[in-house]
Amino acid sequence: MSQFSRHGENFSLSLSIDEAHVLINLVEQLLELLGEGDFQHHYDQNDPFAQLMAMQQEVVAPEDPVLKRLLPNAYADPEAADDFRRYTEPGLRRNKQDSLRVIREELTVLVDKEEAGVIPDLNGEMWLKAINDLRIALSVRLEIHGESFEIFENMPDEDPQKGIYAVYFWLGWLQESLLELLTQ
Amino acid sequence: MSDTLTDIDVTIEQLLDRPWVCIVWDDPVNLMSYVTFVLIKIFGFTKEKAHDKMMQVHIEGRAVVATGSREEMEHYVQALHEHGLWATLQRDDKI
Repeated sequence: MSQFSRHGENFSLSLSIDEAHVLINLVEQLLELLGEGDFQHHYDQNDPFAQLMAMQQEVVAPEDPVLKRLLPNAYADPEAADDFRRYTEPGLRRNKQDSLRVIREELTVLVDKEEAGVIPDLNGEMWLKAINDLRIALSVRLEIHGESFEIFENMPDEDPQKGIYAVYFWLGWLQESLLELLTQ
Repeated sequence: MSDTLTDIDVTIEQLLDRPWVCIVWDDPVNLMSYVTFVLIKIFGFTKEKAHDKMMQVHIEGRAVVATGSREEMEHYVQALHEHGLWATLQRDDKI
């Protein structure tokens, strides 16, 4: 059973092996969607030269509805939105990828052991943001709206979408429980 | 001078001086407690103010959370996007 704990400024998360599998699966899917290649970068991506090179690439508004929501336009005016995106989107993408990559590594330890376990000394705020990104990604695919919880509750168990809804609402519960610990 | 004229008298300078605003939009995903937490973290709001702004977003569909220069508002919008909130900036509608 998943549970965040806090001891002083230290946060940890205990997970069943099934929960660890569900989480790492989602994290990897979102990393892939954000354009994370499985190659090793041979330069520091925060290097000013690398940033300059990245800026030369064409940065256009994403087509995928999940990316549209995770990397939204900052302006209603398309021209201003594209301008802003050109300078900020690579950083925003990297910020989200960096968090997901750390979480992936933490989950890998549990998944490799194939048993329930605890992720110690995790970064609470980073996990909070990453869980939020995972929820946003799922919500776009599930077309979540104000009445979605009622729909989920009345869904027959054999509905193939029921499991995905369950994961979405579980993540909401997990995020809320971490938030309570962070604001204690 | 007539009163009505002064009422609608807006100079070019006033138009150019209109500040920029940062707006947070409602969405059905972000938890109310999370939105409040993010507003406190980014803008340094008191718990009460953050809660009021969050409720305004929830009920009215949007709320202005900051006013100032374009650069400042761009910085805030980016921070809000990093936290998964749906935010935009624009010139203030009001003069």
